[in-house]
Amino acid sequence: MLVSGKPVVTAQGVGRSYGTRRALDGLTLDIPAGSVFGLLGPNGSGKSTFISILAAMEVPIEGELRVFGEAPAAALRGRIGTVFQENTADPLMTVTETLRLAARLFGVGSERFRERSARLLEAFGLSARANDPTSGLSGGMRRRLEMVRALLHDPELLLLDEPTTGVDPEERRALWGALLDGEHGRRTILIATNDLAEADAVCDSVAFIQAGRVIVTGTPAELKRGLRRETLRVAWIDPSEAQLDQVRTWPGAGEVTVAEGVVHISVDDASSFAPRLFELAPGAIRSLRIDTSSLEDAYFQHVSQRSRPAEGVSA
Amino acid sequence: MNTFSAWSAMFVRDMQAVIRSRSQLYSSIFTPLLFLVFLGNGVSKGLSPSKLSAGDFTAYLVAGTVVMTSVFSATFSSASYYRDRDSGVMRMLLSSPHSPRVILLGKSLAGVCIGIVQALLVLAVAAPFVQFKWQYGIVTGFLTAVIVVLLLNVMLSGLAQALASRIQTMQGFHLIMNLALFPLLFFSGAFYPVHDLPMWLEILARVNPLSYAVDALELSAYANSTTGFWGLGLDFAVLGALAALVYAVGLTRTPRLTWSGK
Repeated sequence: MLVSGKPVVTAQGVGRSYGTRRALDGLTLDIPAGSVFGLLGPNGSGKSTFISILAAMEVPIEGELRVFGEAPAAALRGRIGTVFQENTADPLMTVTETLRLAARLFGVGSERFRERSARLLEAFGLSARANDPTSGLSGGMRRRLEMVRALLHDPELLLLDEPTTGVDPEERRALWGALLDGEHGRRTILIATNDLAEADAVCDSVAFIQAGRVIVTGTPAELKRGLRRETLRVAWIDPSEAQLDQVRTWPGAGEVTVAEGVVHISVDDASSFAPRLFELAPGAIRSLRIDTSSLEDAYFQHVSQRSRPAEGVSA
Repeated sequence: MNTFSAWSAMFVRDMQAVIRSRSQLYSSIFTPLLFLVFLGNGVSKGLSPSKLSAGDFTAYLVAGTVVMTSVFSATFSSASYYRDRDSGVMRMLLSSPHSPRVILLGKSLAGVCIGIVQALLVLAVAAPFVQFKWQYGIVTGFLTAVIVVLLLNVMLSGLAQALASRIQTMQGFHLIMNLALFPLLFFSGAFYPVHDLPMWLEILARVNPLSYAVDALELSAYANSTTGFWGLGLDFAVLGALAALVYAVGLTRTPRLTWSGK
């Protein structure tokens, strides 16, 4: 498998509803072959639904979707590996039995199973636990087992739905190291996550998704390009629209957004900017943090740009 | 993809799961045996029922107990659909390149197999201690019992699968299974002969599929004539047709992953 750049996944206006709830609302994107592609968005934005549709476990009600140039179908699942948001290992089975079941379901022969499982268990640090019941594994080990299970049949497309949820930073690093080491470009990987720092670190391209639609897509560098150098994260009690509008007019200020009670201000020079905030809202600012601008800031910028005209929100 | 390999993998995996779930295995065998030992002996000695051969209610009760074991086994085996759904395993199974029917076939055949073993185990354990007549000979009689138990378990497995795909919780599933199957057990001749009952009870027994399993099992092991029974021909015709129909319906049901509309 080579990186050809030709899309492995092409989605045009894909829609899916559950009753009156719209999970995907005209989702459009291309995922280039051999890339690590991040689908980033908040909980309930449609990421898991899109993954289920790609894995041919659900059917879109509108739009056109092509995986390997074909409409998703059960037969294509043999070329796809999926790590679901929840663990799928049977607590009554051992690690090896779990993998053997997956191998037989995905048509991996005995000889190849022995070779692949030994190699993957080693790579993901689970060799010593091969004969243990899965119920005895830690949360991080279970996520690694999910990875091994999904990679066992050497899929061309790997779908990862929140693969590191509940995994501590050390385990997380080990997991990504094992997954991406020597693999880059060998298979296409789609990661659905709301951990933007993680996506920034591992993805070649990302798409920001909100309410079942893609807001913007590009490489992390491209998406961060329009940002100022630094970001101020301000725990600000009840900022008024007038105050936020005033901040926007200050020299060196970029995007000003509010998310989960925190005001994000993209600025050129945070150290000169911060004192003015305390003057503007004395007593209302509980804390302030200065970070180098990240993909998270790009996300908030794009989300706020999109929601502002529609919702009449300026922050 | 090799379909046989997939369903046999499912079969082996579900067999392993039941064998490892000792409490399930033991309870589905011991509960019917408790019926035989205590209810059988209590009624035989305490009431001395005169219509039964040698007044041996325990021998009479064996056929019904075998049917009851199959009912328990089908209920317990089908609970694995809920276990698989709740533990996330079902999601992985359905992400494989196989039709859900292949997965269900492997799972349900494991359930059928376990049900047959458990039911025949009850028959085998009881046989040395009660006075069976084996009117067709012990080999033919036992083979007849095996076929009856097979058809019964196939039918119950299909029914349990069809219900499990429609009922949201395991508790609800157990409740419905008990509500549906316990009355059927009472009208089946499992605990008393149905032929001398009031007309309305006999009609209920006639439309009850479990009655035909009890009838065939009584004929093969307990009875010393065919008088007062419906006959193996009718029993096999009803059980065979229902087993094929209900199992086919059960296999067409795709297990649900969630109940939130997704």
